Amino acid sequence: MADDHPRATARIGGHPIHPMLVPIPITCFIGALLADFAYWRTADIIWGDFADWLLTLGLIVSVFVVIAGVIDFLGERRIRALPQAWIHGIGNGIALVLAIVDAFVHTRDAYGQLPAGLILSLLVVLILLVTGWNGWDMVYRHGVAVNPERRP
Amino acid sequence: MSRLRLALCASTLAALAACGPAPIDASHQIGPNPYLPPLHQYLLPPMKLAKVIGWQAGQTPTAAPGLRIQALASGLKNPRSLYTLPNGDILVVETSGPEAPPIRRPKEWVMNWMEKNTHSTQQGHDILLLRTDGHGAVLQKSVFIDHLSSPFGVVLVGNDLYVADTDEVLRFPYQTGQTRITEPGVKLCDLPGGPIDHHWTKSLTASPDGTKLYAGVGSNSNITENGIPAEKDRAAIWEIDRATGAHRLYATGLRNPNGLTFEPQSHVLWAVVNERDELGPDLVPDYLTSVQYGGFYGWPYSYWGQHLDPRVKPQRPDLVKRAIVPDYSLSSHVAPLGLVFDTGDSLPPQYKGGAFIVEHGSWDRTQLNGYKVVFVPFGSGRPIGQAQDVVTGFLTSDGKAHGRPVGLALDASGALLIADDVGNTVWRVTAG
Repeated sequence: MADDHPRATARIGGHPIHPMLVPIPITCFIGALLADFAYWRTADIIWGDFADWLLTLGLIVSVFVVIAGVIDFLGERRIRALPQAWIHGIGNGIALVLAIVDAFVHTRDAYGQLPAGLILSLLVVLILLVTGWNGWDMVYRHGVAVNPERRP
Repeated sequence: MSRLRLALCASTLAALAACGPAPIDASHQIGPNPYLPPLHQYLLPPMKLAKVIGWQAGQTPTAAPGLRIQALASGLKNPRSLYTLPNGDILVVETSGPEAPPIRRPKEWVMNWMEKNTHSTQQGHDILLLRTDGHGAVLQKSVFIDHLSSPFGVVLVGNDLYVADTDEVLRFPYQTGQTRITEPGVKLCDLPGGPIDHHWTKSLTASPDGTKLYAGVGSNSNITENGIPAEKDRAAIWEIDRATGAHRLYATGLRNPNGLTFEPQSHVLWAVVNERDELGPDLVPDYLTSVQYGGFYGWPYSYWGQHLDPRVKPQRPDLVKRAIVPDYSLSSHVAPLGLVFDTGDSLPPQYKGGAFIVEHGSWDRTQLNGYKVVFVPFGSGRPIGQAQDVVTGFLTSDGKAHGRPVGLALDASGALLIADDVGNTVWRVTAG
């Protein structure tokens, strides 16, 4: 039977990798924003340190998320045909570059990471809202990577 | 898409690495009125340390004309400070920092990796005694006191020998001529130590009348990034009562004060101070200053008087208003760690009464600065004139380090002794 769903190319045991990993950096980057906000309000350095670690962890996992995402994008013509996939990919690319700059800003000592760190963390999360929406659009509306045999 | 991302990342990283102001000529920052450029907060602060290659047999640093330099002792374990006893015996403090606390931020991984090969691999926690013939030959070498804990400052008052470990001041009984002390030290008072202990070297001196001790206690961070509570009683010079061990803060706002010494003419306390990092290659200048009782010298809130540091929150305008401008800038990031006034008679007369300062050398600017011993002439108890290089040649032309000068003393003959911690040598400079 013809598979009518765009397939994820990067899989482990049939499970698509990209949607499995992507919640980790998203959670980290949202956590970094909250921690930056708390540092801005309290000037307690522990929040600045939290933001620093969350950004670093988010970026490390993002490497694998990007690899899996790019493989899926290149491996399936029907994914490349979706405008959501382009918005998702380009938007996340921009978010990632901003997050890298943000991580460097967070190497500054003490309150030197503000306000630039807070602004960058906020921009990253705002972009993720758009690209995340488009990502789920691909799954829910276009069935990207959904297993056809399990579909009711 | 992937190529675009890679290209973006690569160009971002390249731009990060390249940005930052170019260093100015260090001579613009020598003296009482240093040029202070606008501050620059980095995305990627430069780190450049000289890889240590050691000294080959026969190699020495270079002394200024009219001076001669020879090794007094070599094969030591990280010698960092020196003290001459009244009978001419020389104490060499072999010391290493306390065990580093667990890292607090991802940045520290990178910094620790970058600093590999730039420190001595030898660990020392003792004081050696060198007995010499008075002309640069060591007759006897013995372990004077061992099992210390990151010792640094030493001072003798009468028959009481005080040693500043990183976390306490100890008193040992000393009789002239003794070459080994086996009695355990008695604690005079605690000093701020671990668990962070960022600046761990505790410099020590005694008041001219011998009733008080002064201990330099450096800050626990570059600029409060370990939290303001970690800075309690730090970045200060402590005055400790010899009789009771009670202490008070003699002066504050001194980020890392070392080389505490009473100027011989005016009997005023002087120190060399290591200022903050990561505001640019030429901020903030390290300095030589007289230390006033009750004086506040800026750290962390401001530098060189009232220049605010935006990295400190909350600010303290009340303190900044009365921040004292230091006396004499030595230029930025040279890391002065030792100071001695020429009170001897054997060096050429132009050095008489002036200050020798030892600069351990920079690590956070693209052009290395320091790594030498300089001389600042003094008159009527104040610096008068331009600093001059006295001993150089610790670096190779391609930026590797034979050694790094770190501690100073005069020996009984008036020769200048220099402790070289990564070169594991004590150098002796005489007229000639």
